[in-house]
Amino acid sequence: MDESALIQDAQHGDLQAFNTLVLAYQDVLFNTALRILNDEDQAADAVQDAFLSAFRALTSYRGGSFRAWLLRMVTNACYDELRRKKRRPTTPLEPETADGEEVESPYWLADMHASPEESLDQAELEHAVQHCLENLPADFRAVVVLADIQGLDYSEVAVAVHKPLGTIKSRLARARSRLRACLQSYRELLPAAFRLEEERSL
Amino acid sequence: MTTPSRRDLEQLSAYLDGQLSQSDRARLEIRIKSDAGLAAALEELRQTRAFLRRTPQRHAPRNFTLTPGMAGIRPPMPRLVPVLSWASAVAMLFFIFTLGAGLVGQLSLGKTASMNAAVPMGSGAGPLAAAPMAPANANTATMVPVMAAPAPLVPAASGVPATNVPLAASSNPPAAPTPTVEISIMSVEQATPPAVSRFAQSPAAPKSLQRQVNYWLIIWPGMAVILGASAVAAWGLNKRAFQRKNPPR
Repeated sequence: MDESALIQDAQHGDLQAFNTLVLAYQDVLFNTALRILNDEDQAADAVQDAFLSAFRALTSYRGGSFRAWLLRMVTNACYDELRRKKRRPTTPLEPETADGEEVESPYWLADMHASPEESLDQAELEHAVQHCLENLPADFRAVVVLADIQGLDYSEVAVAVHKPLGTIKSRLARARSRLRACLQSYRELLPAAFRLEEERSL
Repeated sequence: MTTPSRRDLEQLSAYLDGQLSQSDRARLEIRIKSDAGLAAALEELRQTRAFLRRTPQRHAPRNFTLTPGMAGIRPPMPRLVPVLSWASAVAMLFFIFTLGAGLVGQLSLGKTASMNAAVPMGSGAGPLAAAPMAPANANTATMVPVMAAPAPLVPAASGVPATNVPLAASSNPPAAPTPTVEISIMSVEQATPPAVSRFAQSPAAPKSLQRQVNYWLIIWPGMAVILGASAVAAWGLNKRAFQRKNPPR
C-alpha cells in the first residue's frame, strides 16, 4: 500500500482510496478512543466521527505522520464526547440490595464460561490499566494512551494533541507518575508469571 | 536518598524514552548512580511503561469505511437527467400558456357571443339562429343577466316553450318571450364547441383556420403532458441512480 498515493487520491475526492486508509488505521483509532473513553459504543462513534472529519479536512493535511494526523481527529472527537458526558452524566446500571445499597460485581454480569488463564491475565491487566487511566485528567490520559499504549513518539503525540513538545514531556511524566501510584495497588492482583516477566525485562 | 521532584520525574521520563540531549542524559546518569531515590523512581516509571505497553489491543468492532452519502458525495447523474431536469419547468410554462390561451379564448367567445346576440341575430343572418335548439344547455340561466340588456333588439320568436327558461323566467317576470329567445341563442353558443362556434358565426371564416385552431388545442396540452412525463422520468432515474450508489447499510 502506497500511503502517500492513497492520501493524494483521497485528497482529490477518491473515496475508495480514503476507505483503504480507513481499513488500515481503524484499529489504532478504535483502541485509542476506547482507552480514552472506556466505552466501546462511544469509542466506535468517536472513530466514525473522526474518519468523517478527516475526509472533510483532508485538504488541510500537509504531510508528516498521517497516523498522528488521524489520531488528532479521534482525540478531538473523544474530547467532544467527554465534554458531552460531563454535561449529561449518566447513572450506572447497578442492582441494589433490599437496603438500597449497590451490589458490587453482580452475578448477572459475570462471565459463566470458564476462560483460559491467559485471557484472564489479559482481562485483569486491561481492567487495571483502564481503571487507572480513568482517574487521570483527559489531557494526561490522551498523552499517555498515545505514547505508551499506541507507541507514538513525542513529535507524533504533539501533532495528535496539538500541543508543543515540552507540554507533551511534562504531561507524560506526570501521567506516568500518577499511573505508577494507581497500578501499585493492582500489582499484587496480577498473575505471578506477568510480574516475573516484568522483573526479567528490567 | 531523595524524593524526586516534578522536574526530576520529567527528566527521568524523557530519559526513559531517549528524549534527552546528550549532555542532559550524561548529567542525569551520574545523578541516578549516586541517588538511590532517583534510581528507584526510574525503575517504577519503567515498570509502569512496560505495564501500559502490554495493554491488549482490540480489533475494531466493525469497519468504519465511509459511504458516498456519509461523505456528502452525490453520485454521477445519468446523461439524460440534465436535459430532462428542465422538463418540469417547460411543462409548467406550457401548462400556464395553455390555461391562459383557454381563458382568453373563453373571454373572447363571451364577447363575440354577446355581439352576435345583439346584432347578427336581429338580421337573421346567423346560421345558428334557430330557437328550438335552446333547451339543449342547462347553463342557460347563468347567461341571463348578460343578455338582459340587448333584449329589446331581438325580435320575439314564436313557439318557444316557457319551460325552456327555468331561471330566466323567475328573474324576468311577465314579459317573458323576449329573454327566452336571447337565452336560446346563448345556449346554442354554449352547446357548440368554442372554436367551431367562433368561426361559425362568420360564414367568411376559412376552413383551414378552423382546423389550425383545433390542432393547437391538442398540441399544447399534449406537449405539456409529454414534458411532465419526462420530468417524472428524470426524477425516477436520478433517484434510482442514487439508491444504486448508496445501498442501505
